[in-house]
Amino acid sequence: MTRATIVGGGMTSFGPHDQPLEELFADAAFASMDDAGIAGDEIDAFYLGNALGGQTESDTHLAPKLATHIGLQGIPCQRFEDACATSSNAFKHAVQAVESGVHDVALVGGVERCTPETGLGTGEMTRIFAGASHRQYEQPTGLTFPGVFALLTKRHMHEYGTTEEQLAEVAVKNHHHGQFNPKAHFGRDTDVEAVLETPIIADPFHLMDCCPFSDGASAVLVVSDDLADSFTGEPVSVTGVGHRTDAVPLADKASLPETRAARDAAAEAYEQAGITADDVDVAEVHDCFTGAEVLAIEALGLFEDGTGGRAAADGETYIDGEMPVNPSGGLKAKGHPIGATGTAQLVELTEQLRGDAADRQVDDARTAVAHNLGGDAATTVVTVLEARA
Amino acid sequence: MSGDRTSESGPLAYADWRDRLEDGELVGLECRSCGHVTATPKRACIDCGDRILDTCSLPTTGTVHSETTITVPPVGFEGPYQVGVIDLGETKLMGRIRGDEGVEIGASVEFADTVELDGMPAPVFEPVE
Ligand SMILES: [Zn+2]
Repeated sequence: MTRATIVGGGMTSFGPHDQPLEELFADAAFASMDDAGIAGDEIDAFYLGNALGGQTESDTHLAPKLATHIGLQGIPCQRFEDACATSSNAFKHAVQAVESGVHDVALVGGVERCTPETGLGTGEMTRIFAGASHRQYEQPTGLTFPGVFALLTKRHMHEYGTTEEQLAEVAVKNHHHGQFNPKAHFGRDTDVEAVLETPIIADPFHLMDCCPFSDGASAVLVVSDDLADSFTGEPVSVTGVGHRTDAVPLADKASLPETRAARDAAAEAYEQAGITADDVDVAEVHDCFTGAEVLAIEALGLFEDGTGGRAAADGETYIDGEMPVNPSGGLKAKGHPIGATGTAQLVELTEQLRGDAADRQVDDARTAVAHNLGGDAATTVVTVLEARA
Repeated sequence: MSGDRTSESGPLAYADWRDRLEDGELVGLECRSCGHVTATPKRACIDCGDRILDTCSLPTTGTVHSETTITVPPVGFEGPYQVGVIDLGETKLMGRIRGDEGVEIGASVEFADTVELDGMPAPVFEPVE
């Protein structure tokens, strides 16, 4: 059943941007409003995702600041923070609001700056990102986020025999896709050998296994189903949004490679939508590290447990494969401006379901899934979008 | 359930856990209702939600459940160093792993020391021959 409708989407290019957050966000917001054919005075609520602005740029209380900059001052505005799942969680609340009739038209988006344009170097950003790990029981060990996903992935390698070469194949695939996305931070053909030659960040991850630090913004316009045809933007149905969490610190998780929250969120989203994993035509998943894509495609049920490592190497997750994953290039190549990532996945899938994705279009894409995780996978939001019949 | 475990009443707070870790002791909590054991303080059981948790001493030897060597550290740390999730039998605990070679999943390790960040200690494990 349709819970809400996306009638417009827009995003900035991802990469270094020397601009205040409000200017960066305005570019994405106006692109989404123009795509939808919605004027500012028709928007009656604003849901914003920004994870780190307080730490990176001494910039908080961003929802009314950004609203003021784009002519929306006065309406209800709220900011969400759930690490990398920030703007998906904002989106979930917007869907609930239009579904229940609290609001008619909601702007949902995210914005973040993580590159050295912030004035922060790799070590400082690594420390800020590590803030999502447990303050007392994880941060004192010197754990980093590449380290977190290395711990999850090495367990997968141990249990299923997944190899470093298979992980590198995920990077090769997503960089291949990225070259077809004009908004992507990176994108060029590379090979396994080149990935494995880059320096190790946290084993088994080489530099090329890791998503970049990016700046960027993204936004979508969410309206109720009965308003779907009131605007010029071609509507896409939101048929399921699942949101689940798992234990922090990660030593308390029952299993490291299963990413329980993603499995539970997917089950919830699929049940709402009345679909199974077999119905999914295209997926955007949270590949902050190559191993994270392997865990995600298994948790979503797109691949059997233990077989996700082979998916990219076998060609199955390429745009023209059996189960295309991250046609946008994913976080790996498109980039990962933390708070903008969740809604950027939805922008990509909206284009895919409209058939507007040009060189990266997945054939006959009718049912799409977004998987956006936060922290050590302790938050996951899974969204099902469907083309309208 | 190991026989040498001691039990005491009252919630284990972070300050107690920290002090005892610095004194060379690993302590956790066991849920009186369901028996679930956690290696770091909580105010309720993460399995059943019950609030009656008994402090228990944890074994100081275990096996490496997962590990990584971090080459690019946050500011304030000197890399490279190895971090792991240590399986202590009934529960797991994250810590540093010290040793020139680095250890692999399944290796036996022993609680040996602590490292500190901003006054917060983390356990350090060493390989057992
Ligand atoms: Zn219990």
